[in-house]
Amino acid sequence: MAYSGGPMTEAMYYVLLALMRPNHGYQLMQAITEVSNGRVNMGPGTLYGVLSRMQKDGLISLAENDGRRKTYEITLEGKQALRTEYDRLKALIHDSWILEEDAGNE
Amino acid sequence: MAAQGLFLKKMGIHFARFEQGEPRDMRYRIDVSSKRRISIEQIEMYRESGWDYVTSYGQFHVFSSPAELDAPELHTDPAEQVYTLKGLDKKLAWNAGSAIIGMVLMIGMMASIWFLDGTPTYVMVDGAMITQTILTLFIAYTAYHSLRATLSIRDLRKNLVEGKSIDHQASWKNHHRIHTAAALLFTVVVGLCAIIPFIQIAKMETNTLPEGSVDLPIVRLADVENHPDLIRPEAEYMSDNVDWGNRVSSEWSLLAPVKYESYENGVVPGKLWEDLSGEYSPGIQTEYYQLRFPSMAKNLVWDLVERYLYENSLDEYVEKKHPDLDLLVVHEEEEMSEVFAAKGDEVMYVRYHGYADISSVIENVVEKID
Repeated sequence: MAYSGGPMTEAMYYVLLALMRPNHGYQLMQAITEVSNGRVNMGPGTLYGVLSRMQKDGLISLAENDGRRKTYEITLEGKQALRTEYDRLKALIHDSWILEEDAGNE
Repeated sequence: MAAQGLFLKKMGIHFARFEQGEPRDMRYRIDVSSKRRISIEQIEMYRESGWDYVTSYGQFHVFSSPAELDAPELHTDPAEQVYTLKGLDKKLAWNAGSAIIGMVLMIGMMASIWFLDGTPTYVMVDGAMITQTILTLFIAYTAYHSLRATLSIRDLRKNLVEGKSIDHQASWKNHHRIHTAAALLFTVVVGLCAIIPFIQIAKMETNTLPEGSVDLPIVRLADVENHPDLIRPEAEYMSDNVDWGNRVSSEWSLLAPVKYESYENGVVPGKLWEDLSGEYSPGIQTEYYQLRFPSMAKNLVWDLVERYLYENSLDEYVEKKHPDLDLLVVHEEEEMSEVFAAKGDEVMYVRYHGYADISSVIENVVEKID
């Protein structure tokens, strides 16, 4: 399914985020763990699935391919998608001020 | 299995090969790819996280990891896993769809052969449909099975979308046992029924009917006619050294292990047909069946009536009582009479063309069917 601009899965978002710096396989997994402060430990099956799908959708591309190991980087389109999603998430947070107020009242 | 020191090496649809090793706790996972081949890159990526590639069967790929390594699950995001299974879902749906279409076509074809003529017992006894019938059952089972596979993948994807992850400890043994038993049964039955047509061909035989008496359950022209001048005419059609106007064939089928069919023609020199159309030349045809199940005999008689009534109407076929027969149906026209009879597991059909009385035909039938 081509990415149509709707809400991203968490896996998509973190892979795009991590690929702001070109990376590959195992290191990319660690980068995701780092970027998420250890909250997201992505399994290799999930990572592989996300990579191949987002490559097909043009959100990421191959930076380097030495046969065994493929290095991916985010594309312009990917950056735009990531930015849109970021704005959406920010709006989500912004709209949640009611929670802060509730916490203050307790 | 790994705890007993047996490690998966290779797998097929029903069997797998294991290799002996040091017993240890192993975790196994199956991953599905959209293409048949799994890429080196994917294998490499899994290996770096502690999952070693074991073997593949079609789109299914097995990975293993020692339990103490505590490697992360292959799939950590149910929503993403839904995409991985999309290709499989599509393929299974396509399989199920085509199997169901195939099944419907087969059933339609079978039903038309079985019931269009209104002679299902005859079709069964004739035996040409046994193989197709069993094949249809087999296709129906395949369709059912692929439909189930499609539905269970649909369910799995639905659960994943809802955020429920896969239960890796779920029991599989029961389903596996049922499926294996069914597969084995079908393999044996389909294998056996593939042999049937060959037996039928091997047992099929046609010879010229000897002029003298033969020890076969067929009605002879000479016995019905009882005319001293009756002789056999010159053979009109010879093929493979068989006089097709005076022949006897024997056949075998699963439901009628003994079956004979005979044709006999005669001529009485000097005697003419009443309409002066030529020399009097009577003919007789016999069909004899010994059935595996006597309960089919009466149905077969009525199916034979249905089969041979041509443009006549059914009420021209009269059921008569006879002390030595279970069922007797006769049909009389000016120069032609037909006798259908059943007794025990035997069924006989005689069609006679000539001037002898039908009672003479019936007597001969009673004598031969005993």
